[in-house]
Order: sequence, then C-alpha cells, then structure tokens
Amino acid sequence: QTVVTGTVKDNKGVPAIGATITEKGLKNSAVTDVNGKFKINLKGKSGVLTISYIGYKAQEVTVGASGDVSVTLAEDLNKLNEVIVVGYSSKQASQLSSSVSVISGNKLRDVTSNNLVGLLQGKAPGVVVSSASGDPSSGASILIRGASSISASTSPLVVVDGNIGGTYNPTDVESVTILKDAAATGLYGSRAANGVIIVTTKMGKSGLTKIDINSVVGFNNATFGNFHLMNSQQLYEYQKTFLNPDPSLLKNNTNWLDLAFRTGITQNHTISASGGSDKTQFYVSGNYYKEQGTLIDNAKTAYNLRSNLVTNLSDKIKLSVLLNTIYTKDNNPTNLFTGNALYDAYLSMPFDPAYNADGTPTDGRTYPGWVGRDKENFLHGLQYNFANAKSLNTSGDFNIDYAITKHLSFATYNRVTLYNYRDETYYDTRTKDGGANSGELYNSNSFSSTLLTSNRLKYDNSFGNHNLSLLVVGEGQKFHYEDQYLNGKGLPAGSPVMSTATDIISNPSGGVDEYNFRKYLGQADYNFAGKYFLVGSYVHEYSSRFGSNNPSGNFYQGGASWILTKEDFMQNVKAINFLKLRVSYGTTGNAEIGNYAALGLYSIDQSASYNGAPGSYPSQKVNPNLTWEKMKTANLGLDFGLFNRIDVNIDVYQKTSSALLFKKPLPATSGYNYVFENIGSVRNRGLEINVNSRNLIGAFKWETNFNIAFNRNKVLSLDAGELTASPGASLPIAVGHDMNDWYMPIWAGVDPANGKPLWQKLVTDANGNVTKQVTSVYSEASASKQFTGSSASPKFTGGITNTFAYKNFSLSTFFNFVYGNQVYNDSRVYFDNDGLYDSYNVMVPLKSWTRWQKPGDIATEPKAIQGGNNNSNATSSRYLENGSYLRLRNVTLGYQLPQSWLNSLKIRTARIFVSGDNLVTFTKFTGVDPEVDLSPSPDNIGNKGISSFKYPISRKILFGVNVGF
Amino acid sequence: CKKVEPSTAIDENVALGDSSHIATATIGVYAVLRNPDYVRSGHFLMEYPGDNIAQGQASSDDLSRCYRYNQIPTGTHATNFWKQAYHLIAAANKIIAVIPDNASQASKQLKGENLYLRAMAEFNLVRIFGRPYTQGNGSNPGVPILKENSTDIAPARSSVKEVYDAVLADLLKAADLMSSSNPNVYASKEVAYALLSRVYLYMNDNANAIKYAGLVINSGRYNLLQGGDYQNYFSGVPENNKETIFCIKHTKTQDQGFSAIGSMYYSGQGPDGTSSLTTPGGQGNTGWGEIYASRTFVEDLNKYPNDLRHSFIAPYTIAGVLQYNQKLTPNTPMYYITKYSFQEGIVTLSSPVYLRLAEMYLNRAEANAKLGNSQQAIDDVNIIRARAGIPNLTLADVAANGVLAAVLEERRLEFAFEGQRAYDLFRNNLPMVRNYPGTHALNNTPTTNIMQTVLPTDARVVFFIPQTEIDNNPKLTQNP
Repeated sequence: QTVVTGTVKDNKGVPAIGATITEKGLKNSAVTDVNGKFKINLKGKSGVLTISYIGYKAQEVTVGASGDVSVTLAEDLNKLNEVIVVGYSSKQASQLSSSVSVISGNKLRDVTSNNLVGLLQGKAPGVVVSSASGDPSSGASILIRGASSISASTSPLVVVDGNIGGTYNPTDVESVTILKDAAATGLYGSRAANGVIIVTTKMGKSGLTKIDINSVVGFNNATFGNFHLMNSQQLYEYQKTFLNPDPSLLKNNTNWLDLAFRTGITQNHTISASGGSDKTQFYVSGNYYKEQGTLIDNAKTAYNLRSNLVTNLSDKIKLSVLLNTIYTKDNNPTNLFTGNALYDAYLSMPFDPAYNADGTPTDGRTYPGWVGRDKENFLHGLQYNFANAKSLNTSGDFNIDYAITKHLSFATYNRVTLYNYRDETYYDTRTKDGGANSGELYNSNSFSSTLLTSNRLKYDNSFGNHNLSLLVVGEGQKFHYEDQYLNGKGLPAGSPVMSTATDIISNPSGGVDEYNFRKYLGQADYNFAGKYFLVGSYVHEYSSRFGSNNPSGNFYQGGASWILTKEDFMQNVKAINFLKLRVSYGTTGNAEIGNYAALGLYSIDQSASYNGAPGSYPSQKVNPNLTWEKMKTANLGLDFGLFNRIDVNIDVYQKTSSALLFKKPLPATSGYNYVFENIGSVRNRGLEINVNSRNLIGAFKWETNFNIAFNRNKVLSLDAGELTASPGASLPIAVGHDMNDWYMPIWAGVDPANGKPLWQKLVTDANGNVTKQVTSVYSEASASKQFTGSSASPKFTGGITNTFAYKNFSLSTFFNFVYGNQVYNDSRVYFDNDGLYDSYNVMVPLKSWTRWQKPGDIATEPKAIQGGNNNSNATSSRYLENGSYLRLRNVTLGYQLPQSWLNSLKIRTARIFVSGDNLVTFTKFTGVDPEVDLSPSPDNIGNKGISSFKYPISRKILFGVNVGF
Repeated sequence: CKKVEPSTAIDENVALGDSSHIATATIGVYAVLRNPDYVRSGHFLMEYPGDNIAQGQASSDDLSRCYRYNQIPTGTHATNFWKQAYHLIAAANKIIAVIPDNASQASKQLKGENLYLRAMAEFNLVRIFGRPYTQGNGSNPGVPILKENSTDIAPARSSVKEVYDAVLADLLKAADLMSSSNPNVYASKEVAYALLSRVYLYMNDNANAIKYAGLVINSGRYNLLQGGDYQNYFSGVPENNKETIFCIKHTKTQDQGFSAIGSMYYSGQGPDGTSSLTTPGGQGNTGWGEIYASRTFVEDLNKYPNDLRHSFIAPYTIAGVLQYNQKLTPNTPMYYITKYSFQEGIVTLSSPVYLRLAEMYLNRAEANAKLGNSQQAIDDVNIIRARAGIPNLTLADVAANGVLAAVLEERRLEFAFEGQRAYDLFRNNLPMVRNYPGTHALNNTPTTNIMQTVLPTDARVVFFIPQTEIDNNPKLTQNP
C-alpha cells in the first residue's frame, strides 16, 4: 500500500478546494482540503489518479516515485461536456437529440428577484417571459415557442429535482433546463405541450465543508417611461377648452403619483453550507428576501429553508431526502388590495389637496369642493386599511435508487407538497372603503396537498459500440385543495380581528377541489459509438379532468442525432471542433383546464340560494367527449462549435396542436355562457438561434451570449365551418390568422370639419362589394370591426449578455428585447378621453399629438367635450401602440478580492459587486412601460397584450457581497 | 380510483331527479333572477331612460349610456341582462319539461312558478329589446322565444306580438297551476294575475288589464300601506309588506354594497357609518350617489308639500342648506332617491319590488281612461292620491289635459324609480321630455331632438341586441 500526497491548483494558481482524486478503475477516492492538499492510500496497481474539479478538465496523472503529486488544472471551456438533466435522466449536452436550453444558477441570478420565471427573461431563445406588474408579490408568465392553446394554460410544466411540481427558491437553483421539443419533453409528453422547465437544486459534494454567504441590499424606484400626468396648471388649461373650471382650483397642485410611489429597499441574504463524505453529501441553505414595492405599503418578504441530503445506504442503495420550506408574507399585494393607491395615484385630480393644514391626510368624502370622481384620498385610507397574505409552501422528497444488478436499476421518487395560504383584508370604519359597513374584514384560508409517486425501472448495457438503455415508469399524482372564506362587518376602529365583528357581510363560503393523474411510459435510448443517437418513447396517461368517454391519452416521441465531428472525414476540418445534427418528432399533450370541465353541472353554491333557502341552477354544459389537447412537434437542430471559441445552436420547429381545449362561447339562449370543447388546430413555426462566443480569452476576457427567436402563429382550423373561435373579441382567434391578431374598429382620425372621432365603416352595396367609408357613430364602427394588420405576438424576442473580466474585475451587461408586437394601451381610455371623465386626471399628450380646435384643423385628438365626444375612447385601433422595446435588464460590476488577502483570514473566496436592474428601456410606447402579459392564465386571457393601470417595474441599484469559507 | 366530483355543484341528472331536487332547482331559478346581472342591469335599462332621474356627472359605467340614449351594441348592461334573462328562462324550461300538467298540487305549484318566471323574463326582454307593442300592433321584431324541450340553442327573433302571446299563455297557465298561498317573494296565482294586468295594458287590451287588476285587488291578499307604514315602504322586511305582490328578495347577507342599485341613488352620512334615511351624506360615503331625482320630478312632487311620497327622496343638506352638484350647468340640486336603501337598516340593501297593489289601481285607471270610463279612472287615481295624503281630483280638474294625462302623472309620482316611466310614455305614443339639468344633454344621438325630447319613434327607445349574442347566433338581427 502506498500513500500519495499532493496539491491541486486551478489555472490561476489558487488552491482547488474539494477537488476529487480517484484511483483509476477503483472506488477509491479522496478530496482536497482548504489548501488544495490531499492524501490517498493507493489500493490498486495502476498508479494512475484521476483529478476532477467542477468547471475544469479532468486530468490523469501517474504517481511518480516520490509519491508526491502536484497538479495544475486547466479550465474546461467546453459547454458540451456539461451534464444536463433531462426527462428522467441526465446526459451530456453533446449526446442530446433534442432542443434544450440550460441556464446555470449564476447566470440566472444576475437580476435580483425572488421569482424564477422572471429571472428567465431573455436568457434562452424561444422562452418569452412577460410580466404585467412591478409588484414584487406578483409573478411573471412564460411562453415557450408561442401559444398553442386557447382555453387551456400555456404555461410550461415545472419539474423540480426529477418530479413534476414541487417547490424551490431561486437561490438554491443549481441549473434550469428548458425542454422545448418533443424528444426532450417526451417522458413528460402527456402534459408537456407547453414545454418543460426542469429545476435542479444544489447538492453537496464530498469533501470539505463549504460555507457561503451572499448578501445584497439595494434601492428600487418606479419607472414611468414616456408617461406623464398633468399638473394643476396643465389640467386647468386643458379643461378650460370644454368646461369652466373654477380658477381657485389652481391653489393646489398635488402630484399623486409622487405620493403613491417611494424608494423601496430590496434585501436578499443567503447562507448555505454544503459538503459531505464519500457516503453522504449535504446541502443546506437559508434565505431571507425582502423587497419593498415602489408603491407605498406594498412589500414581499420570504424565508426559505432547504436541506438536501444524499446517502449511500450500501453499495447498491442510495437514499435522497430533499426538504424545502418557503414562508412568504405579502403586504398589500395588488391582487388582494391596493387601498386604491395604484388606481387613485393615476386618476386623482391635482386640484385636490393630499393633506390638511395640520399635516393629516384629507378625507375626500368630507373635504369641501373635492373634485376627484371617487371622493377618495388613498393616503387617508392607508392610515388604517391593510391587506396581507401569508403562505407556507413545503415539499419533501423521499427517493431511493437501487442498483439491482450491474445493468438493472430501480428507483422510486416520492414527493409530498403541502401548501397553506391565508389572507386578510381590512377596511377600517373611519375610511371610505370601510365606512359603509362600519368596518369590514375579509379572511380566507386554503390548504392543498399534492401526493406524487414515480417508480422507474432502468436497464443500461453496452455491447461493443452499441449502448442501450431502457426505461419503464409508472407514476401517479393526486391533488386535493380546500378553502374557506369569511367576512365580517361592524368592527370597532382599529380592531382587525374577526371576533370584534358584529355581523357578517355575506355568508361564509368554501369548497374542495381534486384531480388525479396516472401515467405509464416506456423509453428506449440507443447510441452507436457515441456518434449516432436514437431515442424513442411512448406515454399513456389518464386524467380525471376529462370526459368519461376519453379520459386517457397516448403520446409517442422519437429523436435522432449524429455527431459529425466524430466521423473521420471531419477530422481535417480544424475550424469546426463540433458539429451535430438533431431531428425529433412526437406528440405531447395539455390537460391544464379546470378540474371538472367535462361535467354537466347544477351549481349548489350560495349563488344558487334564494330567500335563505338552498337552490341549484344549471351552471355547466356537459361534454363527455372532452379529451386531451394534442400537439405534434417536429424539430430540426444544428449545433456547432468553431475554433473552440464559438458555440452555436440553431433550431427550427413546427408545432401543430389539435383538439384544442376551448371554452366555446354559446349564445345565452343555450342557457349557458360556454361549453368546453376540443376544437381546431393551431400551428407555431419558428427559428431559434443561440450563440456563445468567447471573444477574448487572454488576461482580458470577453464573452458574449446572444439569443433570438422568431415565432409565427397561425390558426389552421376551428369547428366545422367556423371562422373565428371568439367572434367579436379583440383577439378573436380566426382561421388563417395569428391567434393574437388584433380585431377591432379601425380609427380613422378626427373629422377636420367638426372634431368628431372617425372610424372606418364597411359598406356593402347591392352587388356585395364592400367599400370603406368613415363614420363618427361608434355603433356603426363596432359593426365594422376589422383585423388591424397587427398582432399582440412579437415578431422576435431575445437577449444579449456580454461579460468582461480583467484580473479581479468582472462586468456583465444583459439586454432583453421584444420586437414587432402591438399593445392595446387601455389606460388611454381614461388618460386620453376627450372630456369624458372630467373628474379624472389626464396624460400630457405627446408632442406629436394635436387637439382639434376649429373647423379645418387636421388633428390627432378629437375635440374635447364635457361628457365625451361620441364614444371616442371606446375600443378601437386608436389605442394600439408599438410594443417593441429594448431593455437594459442588468449591469453588474464585480471585484474578486485577491486571494493573498483572504488566505490569512481563512476566507476561501470573497467578491463585492454593484448591480443595476432595468436601468434603461428604449421604446415608443406612450404608457408607463411596454411590457405586458403575453401569456396570461386562461382566467385572465382578456388581459393579453393589454396595458392598463400598470404597477411600474422597478429600477434597482443593488450592492452585494459573496463570501465563502 | 374514486370518481372526482366538485363540491359546490351536482350532476345535472341528479338535480332534476326527484321532486325534492326539483323544488331546490326552482329556488335556483329565483336565484338566477336575483343575480345583479338581471336585477341591477335590468333596473338601469328600464329606469334610466326615464325622466324622473338625472345623472349628475359623466360616469365610467355603461349605465350612463342607458341614461343618455347613446347606447352601443357592446353595452355592458344590455349584455348582462340578455344573458341572465335567457339563463333564467333555460333553467325554468328544464323544470317545466319534467313536471307533467297532471302532477301533484305541490309539483303543479312549482311548474306554475317556473312558467311565471319565464313569462316575466320574456316580457322584460321584449320591452327592452323590442319596440312598444302599440307601434305596429306587435309586428316589429321582438326577442327569441325559448320553449321547454327546444333543441335550437340559437333561435331567431320572434315578433313582438308572438312574444307577448307566449308571455300571456305562460301567465294564464301559471295562474291556473298555482295557489294563492306563497309569500310575496315567490310567485303565486295573484302574482301571475298582476303581471297579466300589466301585459294587457301594454298591449292596449284594456278590458283584460282591468279584469286582472280587479282579480288581484279583490283577492283580499293585499292592502295599500298607509301613513308611516307607507313612508317606510322600502325599509322594512320585504315579506311583511302587505302591499307588495312580488319582489326579488335579497337577504341581509346579499347586500351588494357599492354595486347595489341604491348605491347609485343614495349616499349616507360618513365617515362613521351611522347613516340613516334622514341623514344623507356626500357622494362616495356609502354609495356613488350620482343619480338624483330630476328637477321636474321634484317640482311635480312639490305641488303638495305634504305628499307622503316625499319620503322616497332625500335632499342632501348641510346645515339645512340644500347641496348642488357643481359639475352640471346649471348646477343640480342633490335629491337622493331612497327606494333602494335601508332594507332592515342596511344602507345599500334592497329587495326590488316588481309588482305592488298600487299598480293594479293605476293599471285599471289607465285602462278605464282609454276606454272612456273617466270617472272610474279618476276614482282609482284618487285612491292612490288619498293614500299619499293629497287632495282628490275631480273630472273638472283634469278636463284641460285629459284623464289619461292625470293617470300618467299619478303613475309618475307613485312609481318613480321603479322602472315604469319610459314604458308609460312610449306605449302611449308620448315623447320623453327631459327638460332639466343632467348629463343627458351633453352628447345626444343625432335622431333625438336636441337636449331633451325623445320621441317614441326614436330608434334608441329600444336597446341594441348585445353584439356578443349576434356574434354567437347569426340568426339574430340587430335593431336599427
């Protein structure tokens, strides 16, 4: 037996802590200590050690006579060797036949946020993230490769640590993998029509314990873009053109937006410890996140604890226990309550004073001569009113991997996810909101549990150059939800607890919701000599959500790829260091609709009661044939590497979904508002390009990542003979059109003769010829709706990140962009209303806008008339605006403290940085911000592409420190 | 695996499976009626085109268009009402279909109630979306008729006359099937009679209007409330009201708050919430308070300062000084309307009254006036006047303007804000003259006489068929 000692350093000469030294061919290993030193007892005879260290190329050394080994590792710049978690397995990137994007945890966390989806914005081609609100407690929505559902959700399936669903905090994320085509999403195929996001949380590595502390503190401010509200003088001058405002109104000039928004503080602190022995590894972390919204009194606070433990019970059995708990508290979240601050901040009149002489907020109800429509000063209500939401989200995973034989293994992955939610909203009796009922309190509670078991049998073997793996999975998921809701009125001032209520406002309510899924699947994965790859799979899944006739769906997927650079004929092409072709085809499904959409129902809830007696009424039309929405996806991909410097991925795809789940509107004479049906077909075609380029690799390093995606959407067919799915809607979903093509009366400007609004009117003559005329009668215009030739869908989206490093300094800049979409600026209905709302403030018109004043004027804005000018602000293309933008999402400047300083302090690593989020946005949009929800949930579909009373996004400046021991 | 079922709904086959479930489903039809989309939107459509109210300021709500006669095909309230009314009819139809005409008395009662509810919904639809019966004797387009067991979910419009005929047939059969025992928050024999009286009156079938009014008056089930009881007509417990024939009951836990009908008419004193009928407050305290009693209505009422009907409006005063809305020129005095407030002491709670005994007297009076039975008409008018505490009329008093004018003026004062006024004028081919300050004068449609006069032939006397319904039912034709 020989004892070998040694030192491992990285390419900068810094000791590599936690590098693994393995005796070649044996299960004998050791780990370097804090000084990069190791000691290993050789058991075999080869005398060869393999040294591996994350981010560096593995290196083999032969032990010399001295028994002392010193190794300097080379950085591994080849992303193709990264191991990617896909489906039910992990693979090297080079071996995939499918279209995936991987974002490492560090790349993800440049922007400071507690919302993973928001962090993905602009990071991967074809992944469109949009968020309608700057409220830190609200989320973002995500759309992968275009929308292909109408009434079912378009959100991707989230898989955390190998199982559907689960919880995670962005700080614990090791990597995010986005699966886009059928071959990749295959095993989740039954529910993967919208793509899959695989979140992998961090694991410990055997070796010395590492402790990391990350801390960020900064300031956020609201951004209002090109949007400005009038001050008193401007509003007075404007109103003088159509009514007689009292000049005494000018004695006040209140800037309500200023009063409603503030500089908020964001804090994000994480401490984690990881490490372990050969047998057992652990990762534990705690995180505190607090973001004060820029809207006064709005904040999000989150506490996160994660503990990941992996232990080898024997050579054959590995046990993983993953626990995560997240406690979140939202103060005055806008989905629950704003104290009307957001709405009133925009619409309140500058003529009304915010404060009394004694400094207390005025009460709009009693203040003499208050002109604002709603008689409300939100500052008055906010003294006493509040809302908060608390949630506790916990998941526990219990996984066993059992190697039955050398080639056959069994795994069982089991998870319990529990969710508890409680909110309260209080309106004090002293305020406008609570005055009518002498104080109001609303409480709601909900609880949900999701139980999931996934059991997998896997066979792996190699026969010469033939490598084969087979997988069989059986999976079941059961969801249960229950909630209660109650309210009270008649509460003494300042007593926001239910026990002080003297009566109820409405009866308590609540209910139970459930669904089940059961799935069986098989997959075969074959490769020849690491050169040719084939993968095929088949999935059968049952869902309780579908009709009794068709609750199950069958799905299949296949993919193939070829690494050309492994062929002899490519060996002489030095410029191309890697070249691979990929092709895949398959079907995936979508079941994301309500839990009981197929049933014929009579509602028995309170809405069915009369005079205190319980009743029932027909509430949903039956459809026993309702079944899975299915999508066929073809993907052709090309990956290549040039000069070992530039990696490019190009994908083209076609997704055609059919049997679309659709909430089909019915005429009221049917007795119902809608019925759920499977109708029609929608196609998305697109091109995605991702480029990683190491432009400079010397002392001064410069790396660029650029991604761009083009998607074209087209409705191919609908129900027999129907041309539009939602006739009359602004986004009607029409055959031959993009699902998001705008359809509305077309604005034709202002009549020079009289200042009236004009719209196009379609007139059909006796011969059936349609001509376009103009009208100032809105009912004629609304009978002449047309496609505007513009769409809420962007023509392309993407992001570009540049990273620069010199010595200990690093700088990164990240832009994201959205181009070619039109946004309906709904706020202009209120802010640009031509006199309709004389008790709301209005926006300062753009310089290019002109107001009609006298006959002959060629103007963009109709004559202002008290009470409005002929419905001039009713829905039309007048308020459709260019939604393109380019946003500097993040700039981070970092400084790595020199190792020489740190060694004496026993500090492994230390970095300080300053970071700015959302610093600049370039756009022509006249509203607060052009970013709108491009893929809202089905319940909220009416908000797609619409900007209305936006909670502005925050510009943040943050200061941070990362220290590792 | 256990079948997954919702907790707040039951299978449609179970819901009509036996008589107790059918009774529950009938309660459900009243609940569909009680929905704000029917009650509140319907109120805006029926009352706001009248001349008893004035809107004090431009509102962001589509209700302004109901008031200003500048409706659009996508109007919120017409859409709400149309949808909810047909949902009600469809729900009733399912029950009507499963109860045979020779069922038990209890089942026949349920069938009768559903027939009544269907008739009421269809009558309201045809008077909102179809031109007055008296124009062209019902030959204009009405609304689709939905019958039980019909499989056509997207029928075309029937004529006004066909709809009236269907309404009459349902009401007559309903009266036949029902007993007289149900409280006034449900349908009963007399409720059907009372609506028959109104429907015949709208059809100018005056003999039948008199006949059915008489059947209700003579049933002895109802009394005109007197004195203080009358003044508190709308603030008591609805079932205890001896004058109400049918109202749409809202329990204390179904208060609609700022979304109540009464919220548009009244705002109590704040901020402590201790408002009462006699202590109105500024706008925005307990309600929006932006629809006032019109100046001409107040002037008419003020002819007799002791008229008890002053109790149904409440001048907003501060230190005894009447307040004016400054947003209109000339400024509008703020007389709040209280017919939809303070049921059981809750400021915005009300159970809107659809039929009450006073209408039977004045239906009979109007029918008699048109038949030339002037003295009988005046006698009935005087019953209502006496109850209001104002002097009787004589034939000589009304000689100048005619008996019908006197009846209509009494109807105006008695049924103000109850959704009757526009129909009273238009069915009698009279113009709506709105000669008072209000936002109706701001932006009129080209066909209305400038400022104030809406002719009964004006296109906008009826609402547009909701655009979404036309989009989903190509057989529906739009009103001009």
